[in-house]
Amino acid sequence: MSVHAAPRGSSTGRPGALRRAAPWLGLAALLGLVVWRMYYLHGVNENFNAAFFAGAAVRSVQLGSLYALIALGYTMVYGIIRLINFAHGEVFMVGAFAAYFLFSATPFAWPVAVVVAAVVAYGFLRFLGFFRVLGRPVVLGAAAVCFVAVAVALASVRFGWLGAMVASMFLTGVLGMAIDRVAYKPLRGAPRNSMLITAIAVSFFLQNFGLLAFSNRQTPFRPPSFFTGQLTFQVGGETVFATWMIVLVPVVTLALVVVLTSLVTRTRLGRAMRATSQDAETARMMGVDVDRVIASTFLLGSILAAAAAVMWGMSFGSINQPAIFGILPGIKAFAAAVIGGIGSLPGAVIGGVLLGFLENFLTALFPRVGSFTGITEYKDTFAFLAMILILLLRPSGIVGEDLSEKV
Amino acid sequence: MVGAPSFGPRGVMLRRLLNAAAAVALVVVLFLVQSSGSVKLGQVFALFAIWGIATVSLNLINGVTGILSLGHHGFMLIGGYVTGLLMLPEAARQNLQFSARNSLSDFALGLSVERWMEGLGLDFLATPETLGVRFVVALVLGGLLAAAFGLVVGFPSLRLRGDYLAVVTFAFGEVIRLLASTPLLASYTNGALGFAGVPSGFGKSVWWTFGALAITVFVLARLKKGSYGRVLQGIREDEVAAEAMGVNVAYHKVLAFVISAFFAGVAGGLWVSWVGTARLDLFLFTLTFYFLVAISVGGTGSITGALIGTALVVWVRQYGDPLEQAYPLSTWLAAAGVVLFVAGVLGWLYRRGRRMRPAAHPLVIGAAAVGALAALLAWAGVFDAALAARWQGFGMRAIALSVLLVAIMIFKPAGIMGRREFEWTWLLRDKRDVPSDEERAQDAWLRVGERAGTAAEPRGVEE
Repeated sequence: MSVHAAPRGSSTGRPGALRRAAPWLGLAALLGLVVWRMYYLHGVNENFNAAFFAGAAVRSVQLGSLYALIALGYTMVYGIIRLINFAHGEVFMVGAFAAYFLFSATPFAWPVAVVVAAVVAYGFLRFLGFFRVLGRPVVLGAAAVCFVAVAVALASVRFGWLGAMVASMFLTGVLGMAIDRVAYKPLRGAPRNSMLITAIAVSFFLQNFGLLAFSNRQTPFRPPSFFTGQLTFQVGGETVFATWMIVLVPVVTLALVVVLTSLVTRTRLGRAMRATSQDAETARMMGVDVDRVIASTFLLGSILAAAAAVMWGMSFGSINQPAIFGILPGIKAFAAAVIGGIGSLPGAVIGGVLLGFLENFLTALFPRVGSFTGITEYKDTFAFLAMILILLLRPSGIVGEDLSEKV
Repeated sequence: MVGAPSFGPRGVMLRRLLNAAAAVALVVVLFLVQSSGSVKLGQVFALFAIWGIATVSLNLINGVTGILSLGHHGFMLIGGYVTGLLMLPEAARQNLQFSARNSLSDFALGLSVERWMEGLGLDFLATPETLGVRFVVALVLGGLLAAAFGLVVGFPSLRLRGDYLAVVTFAFGEVIRLLASTPLLASYTNGALGFAGVPSGFGKSVWWTFGALAITVFVLARLKKGSYGRVLQGIREDEVAAEAMGVNVAYHKVLAFVISAFFAGVAGGLWVSWVGTARLDLFLFTLTFYFLVAISVGGTGSITGALIGTALVVWVRQYGDPLEQAYPLSTWLAAAGVVLFVAGVLGWLYRRGRRMRPAAHPLVIGAAAVGALAALLAWAGVFDAALAARWQGFGMRAIALSVLLVAIMIFKPAGIMGRREFEWTWLLRDKRDVPSDEERAQDAWLRVGERAGTAAEPRGVEE
């Protein structure tokens, strides 16, 4: 026995302290580098001033918030059934198009309105089912009222952006549940590769269904809204031009994240979700209706994706054609979830915002200067490269727990 | 089970004869296809062979080794662009050089097998008659570069497993495609514009493509049957157990990626030659999706299955265009009604087969009834006036394939063939219970024992 063998974490504490401080030191060094780079660029060209970087930063937060909202859907589904829901990007796409038709169409034709209202009423019933009141006459009555109200509203009212967003969130949430019911539920307990292949198939189905039913070209997305108007502010004596979306997106995201967090931490459903995520079999034995919990996870994730989709369209003024619109935001948001640590809600938000900065702010840090052509063209690959690096170096992500597969 | 089922003592001979006969039959079929005068038929056969190469090679990773790889389109892109660039004719090079739509560097424009052959003093390999030799060189080089990239993609497989690995391979495939359009690689790929004028005589020729497919199937079938294949299948069944048995799992996984990427690169080269143009939109993730459908339908791990699946996918892609034409909405309604009706009936049959109660679930009955009603009314012409607007079914083929894939995953996850391969014995073996070689040997041994009086009771031998 060696006398010098001190127990781990002994009172000297030096290595532990250093290890604890290392991430913060690294962060400080990174910030220092960024500041130095901004200072250097300003010396090269007057245009790279504080306002330029402030604009890039707010746009990063805006884009990052959208990624975060989508990433939450990935991370929740992965946390509960260990499925990479490839179709989530397409759910996002459907959310955007649902809102588009709601605010841009003149009031709907009656048959369409009735069909949509039936879907909404069905979703309403399923949703109320989570709170164990299904079957009471008052609930059925409420569903009937919901059906009639939605049908009348669709056929006679013209939606604003907020109404379209809320309605789209609901419709898309029902779509998420339907996907789970039709494609994923029969595969519970199947090999994970089968589930992943099914998810890819669903994603292709939705892409081409969108092509078939919605549009086959880029679509303008300009609901009448105060928030798409211009917003200017001063930084260091220079003006930053932006739209009010830079305020709306982070605020709505924050609100939705707060609601989601309290739902997951404080309600019965949230407790059931956490239990299922830890051990579905045991949760089932403890009386948790696992299938319903999974369905509600898809519902919540799709609701968030639809909110992100509407704000995405409003932020950029147009949405791409359905066959490709969902792919890049979807896969980037998945990368964000991985970066943050898949399965963790704060991780998804942190990863999303980080990815926003990686795409927008990093591009601003390496602009076109002299013979250097800038890195804008490479922007889309950052998410993939970051995801590959994170998966290889630290598969649990920034805040995630250890997920390395043991046998 | 020892070895594959055989025909008995003369089985090897018989199998070789049958293989030779099948090869001759294939050649005859290809000859008929070529001489039928239908350009489209020849192209469809060639496309089947090209995609068959890609599918069979993807099957080595996905099916045999059990690693879900989603980056096959990236490997094909590399092989395709290398082959395309190396085979670009001099005239096309000069056109490009003085075109405003060119971002290929002079170095890239100088990359030509023809110029290399001239430089090496092999002038007889730079003539128009020997274009085929140069094409083979270009194909092999494209395959080798793809294989080198396969090495890079294979390394994450040492650290990651399952769906994480699948996502990383997907990310690699997409990164290749995204990088190919950036200034970094545009001097080799000409960015989003790509380059046209790649000799298309090879990719559209059934002889070239089926020759390449035959080589691929031969190599990969031997590989699967041999010791490497057994190791790869062992990794699929249980990686930890394989490692415990002394298998170098890391080496074999990366090897699978490298071999698969090589053949994917060859398929990419032929694919570019089939189209005649190297373009980025030839190498979308859709391509890998098609191969995935083919493998899943045919049977994950079976080369025969992969080819059956490819035939289906190519058939839907090449002959499914009636699905995507413009018809009056009433026709679409009738079609949707028929689909709904068939789905309802199939659902009822499925529930009855699985003894689910009630077999006639309201949903099933409802779907069949609504579908039948809609189809009948539309057929009777009730909606002709109201739904006269014409509507084009964009994306119907992909929708059909994705629905098929989901259905396969749910109802028949093993696919048509499972993991079995085609054997002649399926067709020709006597359906009665004929003893196998092994059983015969055992019987003979027992009979010898009987004669010698050592075996008291010859069990289970009843002539």
